[in-house]
Amino acid sequence: LSFNTWVCPSLSYLWPTVGYSDQWDDLNKRFSPPLTAKDVTYICPYIGALRGTLTVTNYRLFFKCTDREPVFVLDLPLGVVSRVEKIGGASSRGEVSYGLVCKDIRNLRFAHKQMEDSLRKSIFEVLMKFAFPVSNGLPIFAFEYGQVYPENGWKVYDAQAEYKRQGLPNESWRITKVNDHYELCDTYPSTLVVPVNISDEELKRVAAFRAKGRIPVLSWIHPESQATVTRCSQPMVGVNGKRSKDDEKYLQAIMDANAQSHKLFIFDARPSVNAAANKMKGGGYESEDAYQNAELVFLDIHNIHVMRESLRKLKEVVYPNIEESHWLSNLESTHWLEHIKLILAGALRIADKVESGKTSVVVHCSDGWDRTAQLTSLAMLMLDGHYRTIRGFQVLLEKEWLSFGHRFQLRIGHGDKNHTDADRSPVFLQFIDCVWQMTRQFPAAFEFNEYFLVTTLDHLYSCLFGTFLCNSEQQRVKEEVPKKTVSLWAYINSQLEEFTNPLYVNYSNHVLFPVVSMRHLELWVGYYIRWNPRMRPQEPVHQRYKELLAKRAELQKRVEELQREVTNRSASSERAGSPTRSITPVQTFV
Amino acid sequence: MFNRNVENVRLIDTVTSRRASVGTLYLTATHTIFVENETEILTETWVLHSLVFSVEKQASTTTGCPLLVRCKNFQVLQFVIPQERDCHDVHVSLLHLSRPEHYEELYCFSYNANSDREDRRKAWDFINLKAEYSRMGLPNHLWKLTPANHHYKVSDTYPADLYVPKSATPPVIMGSSKFRSRGRFPTLSYYYKENHAAICRSSQPLSGFSARCLEDEQMLEAIVRSNPRSDFMYVVDTRPKLNAMANRAAGKGYENEDNYSNIKFHFVGIENIHVMRNSLQKMLEVSEAHFPSMSYFLEGLESSGWLKHIKAVVDAGVFITKAIAEEGISVLVHCSDGWDRTAQVCSVASVLLDPYYRTLKGLMVLIERDWVSFGHKFSHRNNHLNGDPKEVSPVIDQFLECVWQLSEQFPCAFEYNERFLITIHHHVYSCQYGNFIGNNQKERTELGLQEKTHSLWTYLWKNRTDYINPLYRPDHSQTQGVLRPLTAPYCFKFWGALYNRFDRGIHPRQSVMEYLMAIREETQQLEEQLASHEMKILNVEKQQKKSVNLETNMFDRSPAVWASPPSNSSVGLANTPGDYSGLGGFLKSPYQQKEPENSLLILPWPQELRKPTDPDLSTNGDDQESGIAGLSCLSPPNEESAKDPDSDETAYSAA
Repeated sequence: LSFNTWVCPSLSYLWPTVGYSDQWDDLNKRFSPPLTAKDVTYICPYIGALRGTLTVTNYRLFFKCTDREPVFVLDLPLGVVSRVEKIGGASSRGEVSYGLVCKDIRNLRFAHKQMEDSLRKSIFEVLMKFAFPVSNGLPIFAFEYGQVYPENGWKVYDAQAEYKRQGLPNESWRITKVNDHYELCDTYPSTLVVPVNISDEELKRVAAFRAKGRIPVLSWIHPESQATVTRCSQPMVGVNGKRSKDDEKYLQAIMDANAQSHKLFIFDARPSVNAAANKMKGGGYESEDAYQNAELVFLDIHNIHVMRESLRKLKEVVYPNIEESHWLSNLESTHWLEHIKLILAGALRIADKVESGKTSVVVHCSDGWDRTAQLTSLAMLMLDGHYRTIRGFQVLLEKEWLSFGHRFQLRIGHGDKNHTDADRSPVFLQFIDCVWQMTRQFPAAFEFNEYFLVTTLDHLYSCLFGTFLCNSEQQRVKEEVPKKTVSLWAYINSQLEEFTNPLYVNYSNHVLFPVVSMRHLELWVGYYIRWNPRMRPQEPVHQRYKELLAKRAELQKRVEELQREVTNRSASSERAGSPTRSITPVQTFV
Repeated sequence: MFNRNVENVRLIDTVTSRRASVGTLYLTATHTIFVENETEILTETWVLHSLVFSVEKQASTTTGCPLLVRCKNFQVLQFVIPQERDCHDVHVSLLHLSRPEHYEELYCFSYNANSDREDRRKAWDFINLKAEYSRMGLPNHLWKLTPANHHYKVSDTYPADLYVPKSATPPVIMGSSKFRSRGRFPTLSYYYKENHAAICRSSQPLSGFSARCLEDEQMLEAIVRSNPRSDFMYVVDTRPKLNAMANRAAGKGYENEDNYSNIKFHFVGIENIHVMRNSLQKMLEVSEAHFPSMSYFLEGLESSGWLKHIKAVVDAGVFITKAIAEEGISVLVHCSDGWDRTAQVCSVASVLLDPYYRTLKGLMVLIERDWVSFGHKFSHRNNHLNGDPKEVSPVIDQFLECVWQLSEQFPCAFEYNERFLITIHHHVYSCQYGNFIGNNQKERTELGLQEKTHSLWTYLWKNRTDYINPLYRPDHSQTQGVLRPLTAPYCFKFWGALYNRFDRGIHPRQSVMEYLMAIREETQQLEEQLASHEMKILNVEKQQKKSVNLETNMFDRSPAVWASPPSNSSVGLANTPGDYSGLGGFLKSPYQQKEPENSLLILPWPQELRKPTDPDLSTNGDDQESGIAGLSCLSPPNEESAKDPDSDETAYSAA
């Protein structure tokens, strides 16, 4: 299945394209009867008004204009739509128009002549119905998709296997079943790794002291030093500075599990002011008096509301057109890159403490499912080369984001028409942006390419796959998401070639420390400005990479073949030659 | 005479301000050398005096007297000298050494002076402008070589050989030259043989408010006529309109469309050398900041205006390229004197129009033609001698940056890489080679540079493997023909590899370019191995054949010997002994057995910047982080810096 036509016009230029027609038919079978309207105008911000045919199904919006060369096609999964709005009534030209605000930076505008009321009404209604199935009591399209892939993507992540890969359980850490039925914490996964000498009863008492019961649990352990990355939510300190002996003992146990260091670093992702303000709501942060040997560090990363606002401004600056003057100061005013910098810098400090300081770290924010997920997953990406492979990265997402309850449903608002919902925020987008920044600095360290990252983001919204549905593991189990939907990884892993970075060299034992200077961060133009046709890359560089590497590989093969042949031949010539030598005197006569 | 040394000098790492190394500072006739005496490996920092931009003695502190040396290649060195007196002496000496009064004192006259004279002379013929004009198809039935400027009698800043329209008579040339600043009359810069359109260049006309010159008008008419398929031409004044109008008061100015039949006049608004000088200064302040905040960096970069100026030059190049290639209309380009902005715009347009200038040799030829021969004032602009600081301006720097920006947009279209551009930039200032000494051809001839100095171009050509862009693909449709770059503001990036060239640790840890260069090198080695294996097989076959011949003579034919045909038909094995002789050369190729998997990691990088023959380039040992070599990505950030509130900015350097 290929989504090249809508995934990204610029990337479809870069990557091998597969004709969509076959898949289109294939997908059509699963569609509700499509609604088709002729003589609809798509008002393209770059080309101008285009007249064509608009088709809306329960999965996608498809617009085709055959008047021009090449044929213009717009193919948009309705999951990407965040808002449908009617723009005014009938205009002077007798046209009605409506706009689609999209989650992937675009805004689309359509118009058509005032037709019989019924058709006009129905386009709008069909859009409202299928773009927001959740608000209409309809299933999300992923539940109807049912495409079969060679691999079951839901098997990519197996918590037990992943912990086993990390060498767990071991003498200091055990796997607990206390959350098997999500009773300890309904937003946590069923499999948790905790210090050996803390009993399940004690865990429950710790859960009472942590917001939403999200106790500190292990995310990653250093294979040599045994320093760990653990994650949790904020402690329920409150204005009175409440303490919990169990929680204090627990953190001490985390520290003791690492013999290399007599210190524990607690990274609070929030600005200290925000952390302090949380005390009013019963939350707060660990006081260094209560937690002996622990050092608390604030990482100054802002909350979901600040991030949402930042992306809104960024969209204004980059879409549809960029103002010629003041590009840099306009970009600056969005603060987007500054947020990216703070997140990367925070993750870098965590990775540094674990790798260089051999010290265990505890990471939390308020609830421990947004900034905490960003920080632990980025730090793990720096520390562990396994996560820099395609499958490893899938495991990382499944583990740190999905199983630990990043609230995708709320943050993205799948199928929900309430576009002003204050719970929406581009937390995951920021994470992928940070990953992209790292791939820029270490172009050979990641097995996946930019197209993989863009595809992941596109399917974050598309609702074609079940991967990013629901808010927690418990919800996904309850909704039987793995049974009823297809995983994004099934699709990705069925055509790995397209998502593989040709420059990849397996540096599995290397720790990456990116430079987090402003001079080395840049706006991800290939994502944020990809709708602008002027952004089309000038040359197929990736093709050239592949050619260079293929040439080397071919030469290596040939050298090896000839090497073998040289060995064989010299061996056989020795055999064949030995009688010759015995008759050397004769040779002189020949 | 200047040889002196000061001990216990500290060299501060200006990027982190934390580390300092202690050593001895030597001043020689040509270099400042700092030798670290604490490390086990001898670390030396060499700085050529001609590269010193400024020397600043700062207020003494308890630890000593700081001396800040800023270089024209953007290296910044901060020494702390224990005794103020020593510091004073070094300061005075360096000021003196870095600002010679006479050309003869420049490094190129002493650099490698003992090499064979004849070889050196011949090396200068490597770039030959006559050959370049004939490559363009000149002279032809439209354009001719004029002897008018032989002995530089019409314009002392123009080259001796100039191409003019066939119909331009000597009186027209003379008359036109009298009506142009410094006698720089309209003459050909580039000829687009596909459609006969030409880029011409000149200085501004001395038109004042109303003056006219019949010969000058005839000259432009001749240019129009030398392009048979068009009936008008563009005159591009690269200055902002206000500046051009101000020039009228001084009896100069620009062409009046009413007086010249068949011209379309166009301003492109590139600022003058003073604006550019200040803009670079502002940008450097931003790029030198240790821990720039996002707003400081982006707002500082924007308010410096640097990228806006680069865009203006590229935009002008795009305008001319469109006129020439798409409309088939000839263009006359000028600014005031026609040696700064005009050179920039003509050469950018040439790069866009002609793939030849995107090759190593082509860029050398282009710089030689539009810059060196047409009298760009290198010695004034690049501050080679102690001269007027108001004459200094980064004009050719901007051209090199324009080429870099284009190469970022068209990564497969350029044969040369970033390092090539940086190396040229370095030597424009270094005075190590004679190419850029003086301000025009006349001066250079009088100085006898071709007899007394070396040519940079042959040095670069000899080391060309270091400068090849591994992505270059001359056969691709998008790299052939005319380049059509985007010039939206976000297409112009800060060139960290040049302006932050000497900052340790600030470079990305892996560079795709270096990675690909390593792959390319490996591919070449594999090819050699392949050839050597093929030879071996042939030798074995030869032997076997002989033995088989013998055997067939003596015994029954043995099928076993013939049972192994060449395993790979594409290898193209020779069949008869006679065919072998041509392969003889391969025997010399070094046979290097390598582990294919690991070789990538241990390949030595082509490090032109550290060659012993070039001591002045081998500065801060680490400035070129060895790309993908795993060491750099393993280097842990140091503990101390991590505690610092600024640590997220700390440029972690390799252990």
